[in-house]
Amino acid sequence: MKCENCGKRDATVHLTEITKGVKQEIHLCEPCASEKGLPGKAHFSISDLLAGITSASQAKKGRQEKDVQCPTCELTLSQFQSSGRFGCPDCYTTFKDDILPLVEKIHDSSQHVGKVPNRVSQEVGLQKELRHLQLELKRTVKREDYEKAAQLRDQIRIVEEKIKGAGEAAPPPAKGRKKSGESGKKGGA
Amino acid sequence: MILNEMLKTSGEWLKGSGPEHEIVISSRVRLARNLQGFRFITKMDADERKRCEDQIRKRISDAHIVPDSRYLELMETEPLDRKLLVERHLISKEHEDARHPRGVAVGVGEALSVMINEEDHIRLQVLQSGFQLRDTYKMANEVDTKLEEGLDFAFSPQLGYLTACPTNVGTGMRVSVMLHLPALVITRHIEKVFQAVSKINLAVRGLYGEGTEASGHFYQISNQVTLGKTEDEIATNVEQVIPTIVNYEKRAREDLMGKDRLRLEDRVWRAYGMLQAARIMSSDESMMMLSFVRMGVHLGLLPQIKIETVNELFLYSQPAHLQKMAHSSMEPSDRDIKRAEFIRSKLNGKK
Repeated sequence: MKCENCGKRDATVHLTEITKGVKQEIHLCEPCASEKGLPGKAHFSISDLLAGITSASQAKKGRQEKDVQCPTCELTLSQFQSSGRFGCPDCYTTFKDDILPLVEKIHDSSQHVGKVPNRVSQEVGLQKELRHLQLELKRTVKREDYEKAAQLRDQIRIVEEKIKGAGEAAPPPAKGRKKSGESGKKGGA
Repeated sequence: MILNEMLKTSGEWLKGSGPEHEIVISSRVRLARNLQGFRFITKMDADERKRCEDQIRKRISDAHIVPDSRYLELMETEPLDRKLLVERHLISKEHEDARHPRGVAVGVGEALSVMINEEDHIRLQVLQSGFQLRDTYKMANEVDTKLEEGLDFAFSPQLGYLTACPTNVGTGMRVSVMLHLPALVITRHIEKVFQAVSKINLAVRGLYGEGTEASGHFYQISNQVTLGKTEDEIATNVEQVIPTIVNYEKRAREDLMGKDRLRLEDRVWRAYGMLQAARIMSSDESMMMLSFVRMGVHLGLLPQIKIETVNELFLYSQPAHLQKMAHSSMEPSDRDIKRAEFIRSKLNGKK
């Protein structure tokens, strides 16, 4: 169905108005609807949002010319920008730098605090402990308590070892054909 | 065949019971999950989709969540039957229209459905009558935990459950409440509700979810944010606004009854008369008329009609239901005749 205002784009905003029992339907495309200041489209277009955010973050890093590709599913960043859908769980790691600002924008947060599958809850607990210890360490160094800092460093090492162990016990990540020459590597959290 | 069995009953969520059922039709919780080791749907080939489907289907059956006899492979399901599932809110429109190995497990009573290979590998939903989000979430969570014992879900400590679309990442949870708000529409206060609701980051949608119209004055209120909040907080956010909207609708009804009672009675009785007498009735028209009748029943204006009858009419007067009952596919114009006939017989038959 085409927009009743411009007649060009597809109508995605459908409004039903009832005046004295008479029903009237209006079908508009998003730009025309927002031009008329009409609500009704509560969800937003992800691709629009994406294009804005990711291109800004790319510009900052000056790598617009290179389209990052996920080594597991071969999805490229520009494909994601147009579809708004990832190709595999690994995309979240591959496109991390680009999607974190987006996730932040959508959810006003970038840290999960909800349910954790049992198999990872142990590891998550350790990660939390690690973050806490690292924070503690920063504070101790700041107040020049080097003895305490040394203790914390030891503790951190132990927790890190434990996390490594838990990571090895976890099932292997998604398998996929590796494309040569792809630089999907990003720094850890 | 479970589809024929379905046709005989109207499903859990239409029972017309549960807290605040006059205005709150149903409470729904949906969880999105994906399997580690598989690509997401758009990047999967047919073989991978089949393997993914098999693995999840097996788990659903092994964990005694839903017996395998209640699993429907949608590739092998008739188009009309798929439409029936949409009309019963057991699958999404996207799931109906897709063209790859996929399916749905439907629990007894239709409160639970697990879609496989929709936008995410797993979309599990619990749909219950009335306003009972807590209980609905509890059920969904239990099913999720059972699934998880035998499946490795894609999960990141930072971003939570990883989903095909970043709007679902984190908890993967969408909580929605379906409301019947005819008086707010009549009194033209509905826009105010929309504005208030969207200000607090909740979405308002039509009867069949995303991108659908609010036919029959039904509106769904749901959360948008899925990350950075616990499941409990997300449910609470939605839960908190519902009583306000319900009271607003109640007040609008009282207002109409007080100030404009005759006009309101006229509207309700005309709708009832139309449903009792019409020979041709479109889906839109029947939804609208049934909506007024539903409100009339709750206001005590139509004591001769039971609310269950109205709820049933909403469900069975939909296109796929009409065609299934008639055992034949029909053109819209023929359906309109059949619809009018069906509604007439229901309303004039048992009072």
